[in-house]
Amino acid sequence: MILAENLCKFYGSGDAACAALKDVSLEIGKGEFAVVLGQSGSGKSTLLSVLSGLEKPDGGRVVCDGEEITAMTEKQLTRFRKGAVGFVFQQYFLLPHLTVEGNVRLCADLAGNKDYGEIVRAVGLWEKRKRRPAELSGGEQQRVSIARALAKNPKVLFLDEPTGALDEATGRSVLDLLRRAQEELGFTSVMVTHNPSIADMADRVVVMNSGKIAEIRTNAQKKTAFEIGW
Amino acid sequence: MTVGIKDGLKLFGIVVVFACAAFVCTFFLNFYLDALAVRDRVEEASLPLYEAQLLSAKLTCLISGLCLMLVSVVLIAFYVKLYLDGHAKQIGILKALGVSDWKIASGFWVFGLSVFIGGAVGFGGGYAFAPVVYESMSGDGLPEVPLRFHGELLFFLVILPFLCFSALAVLYALLKLRLPVSALLRGKEGKPVNSRPPKKQRAFLTELFFGTLKSRPALAFFVAFACFCFSAMLQMGFSMRDLASEAMGITVAVMGVLLAACSLLLSMTMLVRSNARTIALMRACGYRLTDYWAAVLGGYHIPAFIGFATGTVYQYGLLKLMLGLVFRDVEIPDYSFDFALFGVVFAVFVLSYELTTVLFTLSARKISVRSLAVE
Repeated sequence: MILAENLCKFYGSGDAACAALKDVSLEIGKGEFAVVLGQSGSGKSTLLSVLSGLEKPDGGRVVCDGEEITAMTEKQLTRFRKGAVGFVFQQYFLLPHLTVEGNVRLCADLAGNKDYGEIVRAVGLWEKRKRRPAELSGGEQQRVSIARALAKNPKVLFLDEPTGALDEATGRSVLDLLRRAQEELGFTSVMVTHNPSIADMADRVVVMNSGKIAEIRTNAQKKTAFEIGW
Repeated sequence: MTVGIKDGLKLFGIVVVFACAAFVCTFFLNFYLDALAVRDRVEEASLPLYEAQLLSAKLTCLISGLCLMLVSVVLIAFYVKLYLDGHAKQIGILKALGVSDWKIASGFWVFGLSVFIGGAVGFGGGYAFAPVVYESMSGDGLPEVPLRFHGELLFFLVILPFLCFSALAVLYALLKLRLPVSALLRGKEGKPVNSRPPKKQRAFLTELFFGTLKSRPALAFFVAFACFCFSAMLQMGFSMRDLASEAMGITVAVMGVLLAACSLLLSMTMLVRSNARTIALMRACGYRLTDYWAAVLGGYHIPAFIGFATGTVYQYGLLKLMLGLVFRDVEIPDYSFDFALFGVVFAVFVLSYELTTVLFTLSARKISVRSLAVE
């Protein structure tokens, strides 16, 4: 589903240039739940940005769902993001002037999905659908963010520290929601986190260190969100 | 998608500048068109004065109207950039979700509404003021020029600029949206890191003085423009009392003060807002407000005085050009540089400019580190 080969990414130029990704290659299968682990500054968020087409790498290529996104123009990338992928960020990134329903509908309309109401119900926010993000708790905002991503019926879901700003109980419920959605809809998901416990839920674990892949392993026995340590 | 009608109506700076442009162009172009129609009734002896007045109407309209329209172009680009910078995250979210640049940029047409409002106000004002211009330009053997309404001016001064400026705002937004989504989501402008070390080590306040000035060239331009308008139009207005009419002189002077006040308030507000973090941190570290005044607002004395000097040269050059080229065959009072007037205008300028900077410095007292942290 996702194939990355020899990815390199630098920030800055001249003497101040810093390599965020150094010759990174990996493969994630269709319907898999992959977790990218690493310390702060290890390059995991950069890897997610490059895999999802939010940033272009300085070297290497990424093929997602049979399409080489690193060779796409900005217009083609926009079309790719519009149809095939969903994003969930640590900071939620909800549009503050839109209601819960409005935020979800924004993506549903893009994908031509008319059943957005079902998704709002599924994340447990139907009663609060007329509220704005500022009137919700962190966990609720993250649920809206997940609902927004799912409203596009994505083939791939990219998650950047989705539980990073949440307490343990809320984090577990968000992970559980994601896991159930993946089982039901069958999308591929790539999650960046610094919490090693979450790796026990994944099919594949990619450990990053100083811009390089230190280890790739698969889990034979996956745990649920309520079984992992925190 | 992110820009609303309300955002388009907030651009007060463009409304004022464009209203002035439309005001000047309306009464001069209207006079030009009406005067053309009475050419057959002009006596032979008055033909040079008649031709001179037509040319002066054309020239004034061309120079002043064009200058103000160019400033409006800069202003609209400035507002679009300001909006994009202030909403970088929201735009990044939309781009990440797959909304195209074109769809986001198309919402910026509403910025043209400010031009429409300014144009309409200026156009109406121009017609209201036209009888004064017509009166000052008749006599001396010239026939009375009847005031007629020219519908085509409404199109060229209100509707066409509205369409052009709307398109300009959309295109400029489209150009500025070419940033990586990740940079927008981080709230950064995506500029490359400057790896060159500074040429020499300067004290913090000196570094801040030059850094602030260099970081916002658009604000330096607006400060210079404000001082240019104040200097040029006030001196020109008072000089025109003898050369044209008192009403014309007062109108030019009032327009100058209005444009200057509007541009200066806009740039100072933006300056204080964009330096809110610096101000709060300076205060938290124990710097005094006078340090902030000297280091952050102090740098803008340079464009302010350049603007004032340019305005003085411009008004002198324009009046000399008009008298030497346009009215060369007509008997009119002699014009030479008025040093006394210059001195008075300069003193008023220094006083009002410094007072404005002091007031804005005092307004910065309200900004605290705590309020920024909460934000």
